[in-house]
Formats: sequence, structure tokens, C-alpha cells
Amino acid sequence: MEFRELTVADLPELMRLENELFPGEAWKEDSFRSELEGTFTDYFGAFEDGLVGYAGLSSVPASFSSDVQTLAVASSSQGKGLGRMLANKLISKALALGSEAVFLEVRVDNNAAISLYSSLGFEQIDVRKNYYQPSGMDALVMRLGIEQPVVLGVESTCDETGIGIVKGNRLLANALHSSMDEHAKFGGVVPEVAARAHLEALKPTIAQALKDANLTMSQIDAIAVANGPGLAGALMVGIGAAKALAIAHNLPIYAVNHLVGHVGADVLENGTVSLPTIALLVSGGHTSLLLVRDLLDDVELLGETIDDAAGEAFDKVARVLGLPYPGGPQIDKLAEAGNPKAIRFPRGLSLPKDMDSHRFDFSFSGLKTAVARHVEKASDAGLEISKPDVAASFREAVVDVLLTKAINACEIHGVKRLLLGGGVVANARLRQVAKIRCDEAGIELRIPRFSLCTDNGAMIASIGAQLIMAGRPPSGLGFGAESTLEVTKVQTL
Amino acid sequence: MILAIDTSSGTSAAVFDGATRLSFINFDDRFGHAENIGLAIQGALTEAGIVPADLTLVAIGRGPAPYTGLRVGVAAGIAMSTALEIPACGVITLNAVAKKHPIGKVLVVADAKRKELFIAGFEDGAQVVPPSVATHQELENYSDFVTVSGECDAGLIGEYAVWALSQKIDLTDTSALYLRSPDVTPSVGKRVTG
Repeated sequence: MEFRELTVADLPELMRLENELFPGEAWKEDSFRSELEGTFTDYFGAFEDGLVGYAGLSSVPASFSSDVQTLAVASSSQGKGLGRMLANKLISKALALGSEAVFLEVRVDNNAAISLYSSLGFEQIDVRKNYYQPSGMDALVMRLGIEQPVVLGVESTCDETGIGIVKGNRLLANALHSSMDEHAKFGGVVPEVAARAHLEALKPTIAQALKDANLTMSQIDAIAVANGPGLAGALMVGIGAAKALAIAHNLPIYAVNHLVGHVGADVLENGTVSLPTIALLVSGGHTSLLLVRDLLDDVELLGETIDDAAGEAFDKVARVLGLPYPGGPQIDKLAEAGNPKAIRFPRGLSLPKDMDSHRFDFSFSGLKTAVARHVEKASDAGLEISKPDVAASFREAVVDVLLTKAINACEIHGVKRLLLGGGVVANARLRQVAKIRCDEAGIELRIPRFSLCTDNGAMIASIGAQLIMAGRPPSGLGFGAESTLEVTKVQTL
Repeated sequence: MILAIDTSSGTSAAVFDGATRLSFINFDDRFGHAENIGLAIQGALTEAGIVPADLTLVAIGRGPAPYTGLRVGVAAGIAMSTALEIPACGVITLNAVAKKHPIGKVLVVADAKRKELFIAGFEDGAQVVPPSVATHQELENYSDFVTVSGECDAGLIGEYAVWALSQKIDLTDTSALYLRSPDVTPSVGKRVTG
């Protein structure tokens, strides 16, 4: 017996079996076709010298529930537990998708099916009169409740101490303490300052998250922690804390990738992360372009910055312009009054010669130098510069190169989806231009709410929950901080 | 039941029932704190044959010690006490070591990195030099002290905590003892043109 997901290619066999099993009440081929092609449906087939059973599930994102569409076993294969195996496939899928309940209808006279579903934990909740046509047979509505895992996530990769709590795909709490103000006088994140701040923020942030979720530690099912990429000293604070939390309540622990967390954040916003997607993650520490085909199994790094991160460039240019840290909001504000076309600043790694080896990589160091040069030259010549023009032109150069490459990635990889993440998403112009260019290119744009875009514990908890829901084993207790953790490594075992 | 944790040099954890040490797990590795902290705690609980819910107090080694490693133990201790809703107490590692040398003038010395030392001085068990940072040269000022290594572990932390609490010594501060500000100065803008 072999089980696999069904595709439109299986339609002829599916129709043959459907017509054989449900003469007169069989679904039409068109209905099945749209079911198999549907984004939110999952069909499984059992094969033994051809198709001998099939089952389908529909799970609308953010509904937190799934519906059994159909479940059928060929007469010749009945009585072998095949129905149970197919039903279990559907239940596993519903679990993995974050559903908190599975609903189904079954003919009131189908005692074998009713007893199968009952034994799997389904309970009768309603009767639908005259549900099956043309027979007019009533349907029993049954429901299986699924307890999705409650996961507490710890984030400490940079300057934000985040403790988030999720239940399956549901966001319960997202407590955050930022040490940004402490870094202001240094003009950038100081690793030692960040690590010290994490240690101090730990206890109050854990307490805040539990309070927001209205839970106690004894109600948590698992711990997740970002073990990289990030600042080693900062990561180690979160890891030390997370391991102790897990041991204290004998909980499984999941060491997860911070960057993949940014992609997973959309699950909490959307009920699912639509895949495949290109993800552009832009912050003070990262500028990465990812191709995500599967959140847990297939994340590919298309390109990243070869020098400064985009957020870092904002900070450095802000300093050149005499603006305080963090530079992003300052430049964004100043740029509103400026002309983005006043000065043509360079777009790093965007020349034809760069396309071979750096098509999807970024470089902002030259841009920052060009801005500094412009400002110094003017000041040496005793000329007044328009700071708003410099800010607007610089911002335009960053936004242009980020989105040109992101949209190019969508087109080259044939992926009509773009997900934005990271603190630089706060930049108004980035969001605006992303919308315009995605609309033009027919690309679906996803931007989670800002508190899920910046570093946060909920996105880490979300990846932990996804791993549990997919039945993955927890990490051992021996993992460490991996400051340069590769994005392909979603979980460190 | 007390769980003692220390990451001032290696990574160690110990369980005490009153003054009796039930278990002690130590990893010598000076760089594997994040990797070893969970294994040490879990190992100490298992070896003592207790479950976390049996614990009533967490004793945390506060350093002074190299910061990156030190913080792992402090973080774990704070998280443990928060998760179990039990109190935590903090022990200065130099004090815990000095407890082993109750007679005479003793200077406890630990590596502070960057060619400096963490020191604390004691005379017949009473502190006469507070925890501070000193250069190797400055050690000459304490030539009348017997120098002892400040290397600490969870066993010493637990022992000290049991004793100090019986003496009503205040151990409520569980923060990491750094004794130095972060080594950083605000950067001045550099010109890019000559």
C-alpha cells in the first residue's frame, strides 16, 4: 500500500472510483478538478495496483478548522483498515495546518463510517436533514477537537528581548523589551550592551508574555529559542534561559532559525504562509533574499548583503547627516520633504557585470560612502546642502535596489509572491514602492503587522509550533549559539 | 532542595538538600557554556534523583567572571526560578571561594580577560577588599595576602548560599557582577574624502 498526495493527473482514476462507489451521487469531474487544484485543499490517495481509496480535506486559513470533503475506499479494499489510515492522514494534515477542529458529514445510516470516526475521537454535534441528494438521506455532523501546542518562544539575536506565546497558528502574546535606546549614544548596536540588556529584561519579559496570554508556565507545552544567526553573546542569554525553562517543566525544546522565524511570522498574521514565496528580510543586521518553498524543509538563500545591512546603512547615513540613532525613522521623516531624484546615488551590485555572481546580493557600503562624499564635498565648498534631498535620494536608492532585486527574484523563479520582514519594513517608502511594483508585476505582497516584522519572540514560537505540528522531534539539550547559522538549517537538533 | 548554577569558568550545576550535596555535574570547557548549561542542570537533577518541582531555591553564581559565559548561568538560573516560581539568590564567586580559606589574609584572584584580574581580599573570613578589577602589577599592593585561585563552581556556590542564608546574609541580588562598563566608546564620524 502506498499513500501520496493526489494531483490533477489522478483525476481519471479518481472519477472511475467515485462513480463506482457513489452511483447517482458522485461528484462531477469539474468539482473534483477544482478540489485538486485548490490552494486550501489536500487530497490523499491509497494505491495498490491503482487507486483504491482517497480522502480530501479543506482548511481555510485563519478559520483554524478543517473539513473532511470526502473519504472513500474501493469495495474490494474495504475491511482492511484503509479508511482509518486515510482518516489519520487527514487528521495529521489538519494538525500540521494549525486547525483546532476537524468537521465532517456522514450519512446517518453509514454505521461503519460513524463508528470509525467515533473511535478516532469525532463527536456528533448536529444532524443535517435531507443533506444527501437525490436520496434525501440525513447527515450527521461530527467534530474532532485538536489541542494545538502552546509554545513559548525566546528571541535574543540582537537588541530585542522577545518572549512570544502561540497556540498552533494563533498568537497569544508577543512581549518585547528593546535595548535600542541604550545603543543610541554609540550610533549602533553594541553587542556587550545588548547582551547585558537581555539578561536584565529576561524575567520581566517572560512575566509579561505569560500575563498577556493569561497562562502560567505549567500550561506551556514546548519551548522554542532562536539559536542563530545573530550576536553570539546575545544569543547565549536566550539559549541559557530557554533551556532552563524547558527543564523546569520537562518540556521539549526546539532550536530554530531566526531568519526563518521572520517568514513564519506571517502564519500568525494570515493563518498560513502562502508558499512558495520570495522573502525579503531587511533589518539592522540582515539583508537577505530567500526563496521559501517549504517553511520547514526548503528555504533557499538567494542572496544577502556582502557588507552593510540596509538598516545599518540608514544608521550610518543618519550620522553623516547629523541625525540621531536609529537612523531609519529619522531619514524617513526628513525624506518626506525631499526630492528622491535630486541626487543619483549608486545602486550597489546592479550593473550587468554583477548579475553573474551577485544578482541577488546587496551592497550598501558604497552607497553610504557616496552620501558621505556628497555631503563633505558640499561642506568643503561652503555650499548649503538640502538634507531632505539627500535623505530622500538615499532612501530611494536603498528602496530601489531592494525591490528591484526582490521582484527580479520573483520573476526569475516564477514565484508570484513577496513577503517582507525585518525592522526596515517600518520604512514608509519601502512599503509604498513595494505595493506599486508588486501591483505592476502581478505579485501578491505580504507584509505582516510591524510588531511581527521586527525581531520578536512570537515568530520563534511559531516556527517551534510548526515543527511540533509537523511531528518533528525536539532538539537535544546540547545545542549552542550559531552566530552565522545558515538559513537552510531551520532547526538545530 | 537547592539548585546551584555556575558558569564563571566551566559550566556546572549541583543539587543540595540543606548542606548535603546530592549531586554535582561539571563541564570544564571554557567556551561551551550555552551548549552545556542544560546538560549540567538536567544531569544534576537526575543524579540527585529529584524532579524540578522538588526545588525550593536557585543559587546563582554572579561572577565576577568573563561576561559571555557568566551570563549563560545567570540567565538559566533566573529562568529556572521564574518558571518554577521559586526564589533565586545570587552568590559572588570570589566570596564562595574565600569561604574555603577562613584563616589569615587571603586574596582571591580570577581571570578578568584583557590582562586584568578580578580580586577580592579577606582577613579571617571577613571581606577587607571588595570585588574589584586589578592589573597584574597592582597585585603587588597585596603582597601581605596569600593569593588563591578564584576558580569557582556550582558546588562552592551552593555551599556558600546554604551557609550565608543561615547567617541571614542578603543574597537577593542575582544580577551578573561585571565590575566594568561595556568596552565601547561613541564613534566619531570619519571623513571619507581626503
